[in-house]
Amino acid sequence: MEKRIIKSQQTGDSCIYVKHPSGLDIYICEMEGFSTTEALFGTKYGSINTMFKTNADTEYTTVPEGIAHFLEHKLFENEDCDVFELYAKTGASANAFTSFDKTCYLFSCSKNYKESLEILLTFVQEPYFTQESVDKEQGIIGQEIKMCDDNPEWRVFFNLLSCLYEKHPVKIDIAGTVESIAKIDAPLLYKCYDTFYNLNNMVLAVAGNVKADEILEICDKCLKPCEDKGLETVFPEEPDSIVKSECVEIQPVGTPLFNIGYKCSARKGYDNLKASMEAYVAAGLIADPSTELYQQLLSEGLINSGFGYEVFNGDGYFTLIFSGESSDAYKVRDAISQKIEEAKINGCDREHFERLKKANYGSLVRELNNVEAVANLMINSSMEGVEPYDTIKVLSEMTYDDVMNYMKNELSPEKLAISIVKGEA
Amino acid sequence: MIYKREQLADNIGYTAIVDKKFKTDVLSVKFITDLCPETNAENSIAVGTLATSNMKYKTLAELTSKLASLYGSSVYADVKKRGDIQVLSVGASWLDNAYALENEDITSEMLEIVSDCIFRPNADGESFDEASFNIRKNDLLDKIDAEINNKRGYAVSQAFETAFRGEPAEYSCYGKRAQAEASTSASAYKAYLELLKNAQIEIFFVSPQENNSVKEKLAAEFAVIERSAPKTYRFTSNSKAKAAAEYAEEKLDVNQSKMVLVFKSDNEDKEALKLMSTIYGETPFSKLFANVREKLSLCYYCASGYINSKNALSVDSGVETVNIEKAKEEILNQLEEIKKGNFEQSDIDNSLMSLDNALTAVGDVPSSYIGWYFGRFCEGDSASPEEIAEKYRAVTKERIIEAAKSLVLDTVYVMSPKEDK
Repeated sequence: MEKRIIKSQQTGDSCIYVKHPSGLDIYICEMEGFSTTEALFGTKYGSINTMFKTNADTEYTTVPEGIAHFLEHKLFENEDCDVFELYAKTGASANAFTSFDKTCYLFSCSKNYKESLEILLTFVQEPYFTQESVDKEQGIIGQEIKMCDDNPEWRVFFNLLSCLYEKHPVKIDIAGTVESIAKIDAPLLYKCYDTFYNLNNMVLAVAGNVKADEILEICDKCLKPCEDKGLETVFPEEPDSIVKSECVEIQPVGTPLFNIGYKCSARKGYDNLKASMEAYVAAGLIADPSTELYQQLLSEGLINSGFGYEVFNGDGYFTLIFSGESSDAYKVRDAISQKIEEAKINGCDREHFERLKKANYGSLVRELNNVEAVANLMINSSMEGVEPYDTIKVLSEMTYDDVMNYMKNELSPEKLAISIVKGEA
Repeated sequence: MIYKREQLADNIGYTAIVDKKFKTDVLSVKFITDLCPETNAENSIAVGTLATSNMKYKTLAELTSKLASLYGSSVYADVKKRGDIQVLSVGASWLDNAYALENEDITSEMLEIVSDCIFRPNADGESFDEASFNIRKNDLLDKIDAEINNKRGYAVSQAFETAFRGEPAEYSCYGKRAQAEASTSASAYKAYLELLKNAQIEIFFVSPQENNSVKEKLAAEFAVIERSAPKTYRFTSNSKAKAAAEYAEEKLDVNQSKMVLVFKSDNEDKEALKLMSTIYGETPFSKLFANVREKLSLCYYCASGYINSKNALSVDSGVETVNIEKAKEEILNQLEEIKKGNFEQSDIDNSLMSLDNALTAVGDVPSSYIGWYFGRFCEGDSASPEEIAEKYRAVTKERIIEAAKSLVLDTVYVMSPKEDK
């Protein structure tokens, strides 16, 4: 069993990494003084993983959209009872989520963490599906899909992804469609489970009021060793270009919403982390509340304080998104694009760059003050192929030239799209 | 953890919470006043403007730049409704000095900034600076217009509007669009002066080590304000149930219907009502989740919540249009089952564990500490989470049944698609 301590040179925070003999990667952060425990048990399996094969397969298998999310719902039922009934006896608050590239099962609790951890590790390793329960779940997930269709923020985001990505499954709703989930049956769920819920493809992250030795003891007891099956996931080849530059949807909304996105080069591991920090700081140099652009848009009534930006990236996709509410989002898009083009020629304020570095450092340190955030940091970084405190390291090493080069090389007006959701005229 | 509450002056309370595990300091200055249709919007804009600029940092850009240089510190404004009361907060959070890379005194600088925002806003003595005011006025107008964007939240607020009609709780804490539109930099500044003079004020400061400078600074600032005679605010005000439940329906271009039920109670046994609500619909093992969603697949979500300040209980659900009636019947049926005592000791034990879990977690986040002790202040005590957990543990099955029996259905609000979808 490989065991080592990972430490942040910048803040002094540390956590423990263990490569368990079962194949599982385990991260533990003992946080003195905190009462709660947060545990996440996740697999590198999300909505985008619709095409895959293992060493045993000769051909790639393609599965219906939404199946990872469907599987998440179904794992909460075991042969004897609903998993929530088990957690009810420990007092833990349990949940799960499926994102584009991962599915995580989690709990938070302030007492009985060992019992809750046993429940978590056990139920995720014991799937039980019947056709009857699959049929019932199709109805529940169908309702979830309808609910998301009524969420304008969700719609404006997915419409943007459809503008930017031609083939990559990131453009598909995580829950799939009513039609796609109708194709899911019990054997298909077992096939996906056996492929992706292999401990070699999974991570456990536990933070808070815990003792590492106690956690490892429970892991030794509950984890069933897995053979690495050589899982490979593939995506259709995605062109560099975008599909279309705009999409407008009509919904009952009081204020129109927009997402403006630049399609950038997708990367992996440390390069991906570095690029995401550079893109984020670049966006701050262009449009954070201290910038001339932000003030101009605000004074013209084109944005409000809800305006913001984020980096959205994963396996095979990378987008810098500006979002907010506006009565004329096209003007916002044009102003952002123009400001970026000017910055490529004239440069940006170096003092502003230094302020952004400091502000981001402060945010990252604050994150280490929160049990839930630390557990999420550990599992996310592991699944992205980096170490938990690499973000702070990347930030401390980042230079002004790195950010300007990113802006010049990646933020191209030809790869810019806008998505708007507005009410009927 | 050290908890200490003291009076800085009449109607000005100061609570310090010291917990060495934190890396941040969090300050919240709360202005408490009546919810009132004439002043809600004006107050919201006024407090919002305070967090936008001050006499030293005269624009949002200048203030943002300064906060970024202080390791991404923040100054924010927040408006909430609590029963019939409007609670307006100016808050700030910053990295503790121990984590400053160049030994900066972040705390002292932030204290100056927040004090300047509250006591020396960018104004000429009669009006707020027009640019700062307009940012917050436009924000508020957009916030009011955007309420419908979140269908679940919108459905709940519409149900409350019907349930509490004729009471201050009927109104949104943000006010109505017309009032926000009519607001000027002068009228908002007047509202600010009124709050400074008349509002009840509660200050909370959470930090990793004791620091009296915050208390001393704010006490000195408030000492020079001419305050009016103390007024007593009613933080809880029961609402009388209508003789017959009122039905409100709205058709929108949506895919999923929403149904919200509001019940009212005249039973003052609040611990029993909260525990009853937890058993009924606040957890994934509750009666509503287990039966209405899981067993009968009638709703995607169906959850209850106890509204302490109005002694009311709401059930909100996302439901397919064809199932609205069936879902309503089952929601009411599950309540009847509790009234009849058809639940197990394990339901009580499990719900107690869930409440205990949430209560113990209060001390892990600075803002939760503030939320907790402000809540207790409104209840008229300073009980710790553990003391309240003890009160829940003392609730008997009989008290839970009585709590359920006291609930009277007052309002049913349904949002459904314009056409069958």
